[in-house]
Order: sequence, then C-alpha cells, then structure tokens
Amino acid sequence: MKIPGHTAVGSKTLRRPHEGPWAWLAAASVALSVLMLGALIVLLSVKGLANFWPSTLHEVILDDGDTVIGVPFEQRTLPGGEGVERRYWIANRDDGGGIWRWLSVPRLASDQTPDDLVVLERRHWGTFFGRLVAVRLEGERLTGEAAWLAMEQRLKELDALRQARQQLTRDDILPLIRRMEREPSSSETQHRLDDRQLQALQARAKELRRLQQGGVLVLENSQGQRQEQPLEEVLDAWRPNAMAWYEKLGHWGGELWQFLSEGPRDANTAGGVWPAIFGTILMVLLMSVLVTPFGVLAAVYLNEVAHQGRLTRLVRIGVRNLAGVPSIVYGVFGLGVFVYGIGGSIDRWFFDSSLPSPTFGTGGLLWASLTLALLTLPVVIVATEEGLSRIPLHQREGALALGATRFETLTRVVLPMAMPAMLTGLILAVARAAGEVAPLMLVGVAKLAPQVPVDGEFPFLHLERKFMHLGYHIYDAAFHSSDVQAAMPLVYATALLLVVVILVLNLTAIFMRHYLRKRHGAPVRR
Amino acid sequence: MSDPTSTNPLYRSRQRRDRLATLLITAGGIGVLLTVIAIAVFLLVEVVPLFWPGADGMSLSALWSAPGTSGEAEFRWLPHRLEEGVVAQASLAPLLWGTLEAAIWALIVAIPLALGAAAHSSLYMTPGLRARMKPTLELMEAMPSVVLGFIAGLVLGPWVERHLAEAVSVVLLLPLAMITLALGHRRLPVPVQRYLSLNSAALWLLPCLLLLVLAAVQLAPLWESWWFAGDLREWVEQRWGLDVQARNAMIVGLAMGFAVIPGIYALAEDALSDVPRNLAEGAQAMGATRWQTLTRVMLPIALPGIFSAIMIGAGRAVGETMIVLMASGNSALMTATPLDGLRSLASSIAIELPEAAPGGTHYRLLLLAALALFLFTFLMNTLAELVRARLRQRFRRSRGDT
Amino acid sequence: MSSVSHFAATSRRIVMLLWLGWVAWLPLPATAHDVAGALNAVGSDTMAELMLRWGEQFEEQRPGVRLQLQVAGSASAPPALIAGTTLLGPMSRPMQDDEKAAFAARHGYAVTPVVVGKDALVVVVNRHNPLERLNRQQLDAIFSDTLACGAEESIDHWQQLGLDDPQGSIHLYGRNAVSGTHGLFRRRALCDGEFKVSVTVSAGSAAVVAAVGDDPRGIGYVGLNHLNADVREVAIADGQRDVRPERQALRDGDYPLVRDLLIYVNRPPETPLPEVERAFLDMVLSPSGQRVVKELGFVALSPSALMAQRRALGLPALAREER
Repeated sequence: MKIPGHTAVGSKTLRRPHEGPWAWLAAASVALSVLMLGALIVLLSVKGLANFWPSTLHEVILDDGDTVIGVPFEQRTLPGGEGVERRYWIANRDDGGGIWRWLSVPRLASDQTPDDLVVLERRHWGTFFGRLVAVRLEGERLTGEAAWLAMEQRLKELDALRQARQQLTRDDILPLIRRMEREPSSSETQHRLDDRQLQALQARAKELRRLQQGGVLVLENSQGQRQEQPLEEVLDAWRPNAMAWYEKLGHWGGELWQFLSEGPRDANTAGGVWPAIFGTILMVLLMSVLVTPFGVLAAVYLNEVAHQGRLTRLVRIGVRNLAGVPSIVYGVFGLGVFVYGIGGSIDRWFFDSSLPSPTFGTGGLLWASLTLALLTLPVVIVATEEGLSRIPLHQREGALALGATRFETLTRVVLPMAMPAMLTGLILAVARAAGEVAPLMLVGVAKLAPQVPVDGEFPFLHLERKFMHLGYHIYDAAFHSSDVQAAMPLVYATALLLVVVILVLNLTAIFMRHYLRKRHGAPVRR
Repeated sequence: MSDPTSTNPLYRSRQRRDRLATLLITAGGIGVLLTVIAIAVFLLVEVVPLFWPGADGMSLSALWSAPGTSGEAEFRWLPHRLEEGVVAQASLAPLLWGTLEAAIWALIVAIPLALGAAAHSSLYMTPGLRARMKPTLELMEAMPSVVLGFIAGLVLGPWVERHLAEAVSVVLLLPLAMITLALGHRRLPVPVQRYLSLNSAALWLLPCLLLLVLAAVQLAPLWESWWFAGDLREWVEQRWGLDVQARNAMIVGLAMGFAVIPGIYALAEDALSDVPRNLAEGAQAMGATRWQTLTRVMLPIALPGIFSAIMIGAGRAVGETMIVLMASGNSALMTATPLDGLRSLASSIAIELPEAAPGGTHYRLLLLAALALFLFTFLMNTLAELVRARLRQRFRRSRGDT
Repeated sequence: MSSVSHFAATSRRIVMLLWLGWVAWLPLPATAHDVAGALNAVGSDTMAELMLRWGEQFEEQRPGVRLQLQVAGSASAPPALIAGTTLLGPMSRPMQDDEKAAFAARHGYAVTPVVVGKDALVVVVNRHNPLERLNRQQLDAIFSDTLACGAEESIDHWQQLGLDDPQGSIHLYGRNAVSGTHGLFRRRALCDGEFKVSVTVSAGSAAVVAAVGDDPRGIGYVGLNHLNADVREVAIADGQRDVRPERQALRDGDYPLVRDLLIYVNRPPETPLPEVERAFLDMVLSPSGQRVVKELGFVALSPSALMAQRRALGLPALAREER
C-alpha cells in the first residue's frame, strides 16, 4: 500500500517537530532563485519596453542662465557625497557637444516642460530637441501651429515619396540591372533598349528624389540659436509634452514596430533589429534542417538497432556528455574544420579565381548552422531516445507479430509515437541555438551584414554570407557601438526580445513534455 | 518448416528494404558518433605540433611561465608578441587561474542555493507546487548567457561598485532574516503558522524576500555612515588594501552562479527523489523531523548523485564564455582577491581566435586551451554520469530487495 | 544543395565577368549615362559604418548602384586588392611593406592610397577627474611596466600625478590585444613597450568609455569618435605645450596618437578609374562625403588635403561654392 507521504498525516492531532533554521534557508533559496529570475525578466521588460515610450522633454535653466533641453536619464551621487548629478539626453549632436550632459541638481534654477518642444528624428546627426520656429515650403513661410501642420503634412508626403523610390529601385531598376548582367549576349539592339529603359527608370528615380527636396525647417535649439534643417532629412517629428496618453501609446506602438521591422542605424545605436531577427531565424531554421535527421538517426540507431551492450551504454554516456562540452569548443571545431578545413578546400576547388580572398573559407551562414547543429545534436539525440524508450515494448512486438518488418515497425509505429518527443528535442535545440553566441563569434556572425543572406540575386540563399544575430547584436551594441549609453535602451529591448523568444520556445517544450509524460507514463529504463 | 511468406516477392523486397534501411541507420548513427569523436581528434592533431621540437616548438615550462624583462619568471599572456617573433611570453597559467577562479566563485554562489532548493522541493514542497517550480527553475537555465553577461557586466557590476554597502547589506541581511524567521515562526499563532507553512514557503517568501532586499538597500547608507565613515569602499581599501573593481570575480561568480543553479538543482533533486521513499518514511515514523531525515538518511545515500550534480555544474562554469567575457575585466591577473578582474580560457578563445593566423603558434595555443576545456568537461561529465548510473543501479537493487 | 549553389555562384561570376568585358569593349552611347551595377569593397570594420553611409549617399545620387561591402577587418583588404577581386580596400591602418610589395609584384604597379579621413586615440578620465595633461613619459608610466619611453618609475597612484581628488590607485582600462586600437596605443604611447597586467580589457571602445565614466579613478584610451559626456579627454603635453585632440592639431600632425583612414585603390598609372569607382571616390572626397566623416565622429580632411587627394586621383577640382 502506498502511504501518502508526509503531507497531512495527523497534522491536526500531532504537532510536528520544528524543522530548525536550515529548512528555512533551503526554502529561502528556492524563493531567492525564483526572485532573481523574476527580477531579471522584470528589469528587461521595463527597460526594454519603456525605451519606446515618448519621454517628456524638460527645459532646464541653470543658475548661470544656461538653458538645456533634454530628457533626464539617471541620477548619481557626486563623488564627494554631497548632492546629486543628473544625466540629461540633450541630443543635437550637430551642436558639437555630444548627446549627453551631466547637470548637478543643486544648480538647476527652473525645470519646466513646455508643450511646444519638438523631437525630430533625422537621417543625419541623430535626434534633435528644440523648438520649431517656421517652415519654408514652396516659397511660403509658415509659423506657429500652421507650421507644425504643414510639416506633418509634408512628412507624410516625403514618406510616400521615399517608399515609392525604394519600390522603384527594388522592383524595377535592380531586376533590370540583374537581367542585363545575366543575359549579356543578347543583341545590340536589345542592349540599347535595355539601356534606354534603365536611363528612363533612373531619371524617374532622380525625379522622385528631386521631389523630396525643398522644404526647410527653421529650428531653435536650447540656446536660442536658429538653424535650418532640410525637411527631406527628417524622418519623424513629435511633441511629447503636448501628446495625450493615447497618442503616446500610438507612438509607442509605432516605435516598437519600427524596432522589429527596420534595420539598425547610427552604428547599431538606433533603428531596429530586423536583420538580426531574420539572421537568427534563418540560421536556426538551417540548423534544424541539419540536426533533425542526424539526431533522430543516431537516436534510432542507439535505441532500436544497436546491440544493447556495454559499448552502447558507453556511447550513450558519451553523447550525453557532449551536451556538457562548452559551446566555445564547438566554435573552435567549426572554425578549424568547417571554415579553414572544408571551406578552404571548397575555395581551392571552386572559387580559385577569387582566392586569396575567401568565399567559403571564412565564417558564414552555412558553417554557423553546421556548428550549432553539432552543438545541439546531443539535445536532439537525448530527447528522441527518451521518447523512444517510453514506447512500450508490446507496441513493437505487436507490429512485428503482424508481419511488419523492423523498418516498417519503425516508420509506421515507433517513430510516429516518438514524434512529440522529437519535436520537444528540436524545440529545446532551437532554444539553445538561438541563445548561443560564443561559437558564432568564431564561425560567421557579423556586427553589420550589409547583404542579407537571402535576396533576389541568384541563387537567392547565400550560404557563404555572414549574417546578423540577436545575441551577438546585444554583445556588439553593448561593447562596440560608438556610445554605450545611447545604445543601452536598444540593448535592453534586444535582450528582452531574445529572452521572450527563448522562453516561449522553452515553455512550449515543457508543456509538450508534460503532456507526453501524462500520455505515455514513465520511460522504460534499459 | 519454412515460412510460407518468405517466397513472396513482395515480402522479399520488403525484407531487402528493411536490411537497407537498417544499414543506412547504422551508418548514419555511427557516422554521427564518429563526428563527435572527430572533435577530440581534431583538437589533438592541431595541438601536437606545438610540442614538436622545431621552429615554433614550445616547451611545457614556457606555457607555464617565461622570464620577463626583469629576468624573473612572469606569468604573462601576451599573444601578440608571438607573431612579432619577440620573446614568447604566452603563459597559459593566468588564464587557467582565471577560469578556475570564476568557476569556484560560481559554485560558491550556486551550490548552497541549488542544493537548498533541491532539498526544499524534494522534501517539503507540495506535489502541485513542485510540478510548477521545477519548470520555472528550468527556465533559468534557458536564459541566454549573453543576456546574463550584459546584465552582470554593464548593469550589476557598475551598480555594486557604486553601492558596495547596499550589496553587502543584502548579502548579509538575507540569511540573518531567514534564521530569525525560523526561530520566530514557532512563536506565531497556530492558524498563521499553518497558513504560512513551510510547504508553500517558496511562494509566500517571494514578496517577503523582495521587501527584505528593498529594506536592506534602504538601510545600507545608515550603517555605512555609522560604522564606515560613510564610504565602505574607502574603508575596505584602507583597512584591507582591497580595491573594488567594477568588473570582478564576484560579479562573474554571481552571474555564472545564476546560470549554473538550475543544472545542479535538477540533478540534485533527481538524486534526492530517487532515494527510496520507504527509508525516509521509516525515519519520520521514528520521530525524525524532515530536515533530520534529509541530513541523516537521504543525504548519505544521495551523496554521490549530488556530487555528480556539482561536477556537472563545475563543467558548465568552466566553459562558460559570454558571461566571463562581458562581466570580468579580462585582465590576465593571478591574484586571489575576489574583487580583482580575471580572464578565462574560453573568453580568450572567443576574442583572439578569429584574428589568429591558422597554423601559427597563437592559434595552436588557443586550440590547446580549447582541448583543455574539452577534456576537463568531458571527464567531469563522464565521471558524474558513471556515478549516477551506479547509484541508480543500487537503488533498483534495494527496491528489489524490499 | 550547397554544391549546386557553389556551381551557380561560380557560373554567375563568370557570366558577370563576361558581361563586364563585353561592356568595356562596347562603345557606349555618348549621352550622359548613369553608372549602374555593383561597387565592391573589402576591408576594415572600423570604417564599416562610414562606408555604408557613403554607399547610401551614393545610391541616392545614382539609383541602382549597390555598394557590396565585406567587413572582415583591415587585414582582409590587401589580399582582396592583390587578387583583384575588389578595386577598393578600406583600411584603418597603412598597408605594410610586404603587402605593398605583393601588390606590386602581382599587378606591376603600386597600390594607390587615398586618405579619406583621420581617427585619433584620446586618453580619457572620469568627468570629475581634474587631470589636465600628461606628458609622454607619464602616459607610458601609467599604462606600461616596461617604461620604454624613458620614465623612471611606474605610476600607480593618482597622488603621483600631483592630484589629491581621486585618491588611491589608478584603474586602467583598455582594449583587447587583437584590436587595432591596442596596437596603435602600444606602439605610439608605450614606445612599443608592454601594458601592465592589471589593465581591465574591454572588447570594445564604447565599453571603455562606459567603465571610465563609472569609475572616478579610471583612465583609459579610446577612439576619438567614442568620446561622450561621461569622460574628459586629457591633453598630451609636448614640451611646454598641451596638445589636445582637436581638429587643427590632428590635421597638422601635432597630436601623437593619430591614424589615417584610408581607401586603397587598385589603379594602373595613367589610366582613369572605372566610372563607378571614380564617381564613388569623387563623392567621398567631396564636402558632402566629408560631412559623413565628421558626423560619425572622425576627423574630416582639411580643404588643402582634400584638394591634394583629388589631384592625386585625377578628379576635377571642386567648384568654389562646393568648398
């Protein structure tokens, strides 16, 4: 008979003896671990998501009459211990003073948040904080609210023009050029025709570009100095202090979407992470394609085909232990064998013309995926084996008794039953691969990949190209960007994105495993 | 008598297909396993030329230390000097030391927390809570190390450097508060006691701990000004000559401890749960508390399993790259102070290998480092696995006996 | 799957070469014709952002032209130039003699260096640190223990520099050994000596700035474009004079820790550059191109240096209003 543990036996009648302080410390260690995890996630969420909220602009006047417009970022105690200083993001890099300014708080004479302060996002020199004085558009000079409305109107037009031009380049000009590159041997008339068409398209593109010009903003910075800003370089404009909460929310959503859908700007300190998301997904997909068949094959061999002797047990232990080998070692292997070894040979055989600059002999998408496939192989093998061992022997015996061959038993009975386990393994592998950075640094990740590995150029998927990766983007933006403080919000947001992706993958795996255990019970141990 | 189906052509083709498939699976499986062996072989083959007596042959002693400018033996890792052909000063000793130091600090953080958590969840937790808590702790393991490194190196490290007193206060106050709680709990009225029971402590302690941490941080300036003249950092430096660096071994240890906890926890919890229930129940029937059951009965039995859990954790800590790279100062020092920076084998490989010329001495030295990591973790894990396998066998036998 | 793509890529390359040859042979129509096609560049990652920005600007002027940039470090430029796979090789250090010799041996003429901007290393301290200047010996004595620049004893405490505000030991921050910044500082500031072991080594310059900004006792060296309000730059004393990393000093070569940003061009003597490359360099060496240099925190060329570079490449002089 099973005695129901030590849950509620006689707790009413008997006073249980006291457990002493150690038991409480043990309980606290669980709580502390969970607390650390929670704190980490909360920190990332708050810092990562707050970044996109349009923060209030302050106009601060110092005791010496100096005026500063900026967003307060953080506060520090001064070294002597008396008073605090505050870091303001003052933007306006073109003023020559950098985008940060430390102000000691006792020196602040006044601190206001006027409604007319504007934030401009520009293509050059980053963000601008200040006031909009006037807009000069088609010979007219508008001031006041009219200027703001005219500017908003014009910004929308500019956006449309920019998109039209991009579309023209992407859909018409580049395909034409590519066709001309691909079919150079057609007749001269054809060539001239193409040439003329290209000229027409380029003229159209230039026209679209010309239409963007004109339009100047007259701006005033915190010092009251006027400056002129060509409107075409302005990407977005808003007045954070005058926005209602729902407008802010809308703005927040827009910024978040930009972050997810655009490429990085300003040396990875602004813009979005789309190429990194894309690179991560592509690499992980390729890795899954590589790791699944081999992992399943190895697991099936170990569990179904091989003689279950001492050797198999040793091999199984070996495979399991590979999961514990540091990932950097796999990176070293990938660099030495895949990149320098195999890649070098491929270059010698196929790309002799471009040597010594390497094609496959340098890190790239293919080698990164292969390295990570190797790294996650044990995960898939172990999970698949666990799934296989859960399948009761009588299922196999039944199939064999009905006259199925071993192969048929395998493909029709065993593998379908083990499918969820394999999927779990694969998801765990993907989660591990998505968060792994160290080996990628050796085999093909890049801080900036101007050319994505997939594009309209034959053969469309460029396995030799370098790619961007979310995890590496965190490392790069936090250490290599031109200004860590400026990159920090973006790093938080990227870290949050990565953590969310990985947590979702892991939770899926956990739920699947839970469901499996319920359905199939404990594994049959060998 | 022969099987009537064996003459059937369809059956024969099926048989052939079966044999072919088996062959393929075998080939594939063995191929995969060979690839795995190839890693070790590759590293060995690339490293061996380092020790050949020849142009770039290095003696074992040069890997340890080399005479510096003053003529005394120095432990310096100066790989860029190798390519310039100047005196080779490429001692792996500081890197080995840094690797060990980081791992040790990680384990100091992780072992008590992980083992405590394992003990609590295998002994006290209600099954329902446990079924939720285990996956939650598993999520900790899934945290990408680059994120942990970022938080440790760029957020936590500088914060601790600025707020040393607050950090110390949290570390000291938490255990003290827990002991006070343990003593005070029995004085609580019984209904409250039952409501705030040890079984669900992991849940209701969460907000308490949060409050405690906040209180500790708030109180820190007070006692800092009472006892340390308002600046603990200054005091530590003048009293003990210790200089607190923002990127130090303790921060690395904390971040890496976070990464290692779930691994140790899961295995240790398994080891404790594998202990036959009847032993624990017997002890409790004799009037032992659960904690006494743990220390006197379960722990001795599960000790090898717990030991293997720690070994696997050590393996992970030794090879962790991004956390050390981002949170440590990467200065190849050989000091024992936990407040100095350090540099590990793995992070050296990550930064330097892409720039090292393949086939050169620097390249081979880094591969030697990789080989060392590989062998160390592989040995650790194999040992741990063997211990666990043996333990499991023993349990099965003991279960069979009863 | 991959061998197919190799084959395809090779054949694509051959086809492209054929096309290029055919186009070169064909007399083009006399009408002003915009260039189209790809512009290849292989080289420095320090200059990656710069090249990308130029590429963007170039594409605006000439729709359909793509800059194909391979970023793999300065060391990757010479092999690509020598092999002829690219005509442009951005580098953040000058080519070494053996690399130049290899180029000349392969092509029969020397490689053309084009200076497109300058980068400087600055020594930074925390923003609250009052330190104004350091001379070369002090700098060496702070960062190295080999004292190759002639200092007498190592400087480990702020008191040794006559300061009493940041008390205690000096915390050193620097870059990892494989970075160009580390190499430049070691050669120029340490007189080819060796750094102290206690230098906290960061994988990036921005991290050095952040660390010094957090540490009142810190001192570090970073690229000029990484300066921000968290840190203060320290002048290098040269005799009685302080040399600050300001534009004039950098242009005149007074400041010791400067390096040129270069694009190496494969250009046979007496032959004009291909149209695309020519147009690209024309834009780079124009005021609008130099604005990008300035915007990214590097130092733009002086007008006279700009003219000299243009003349050397056979580009037309800039119109007065363009200057």
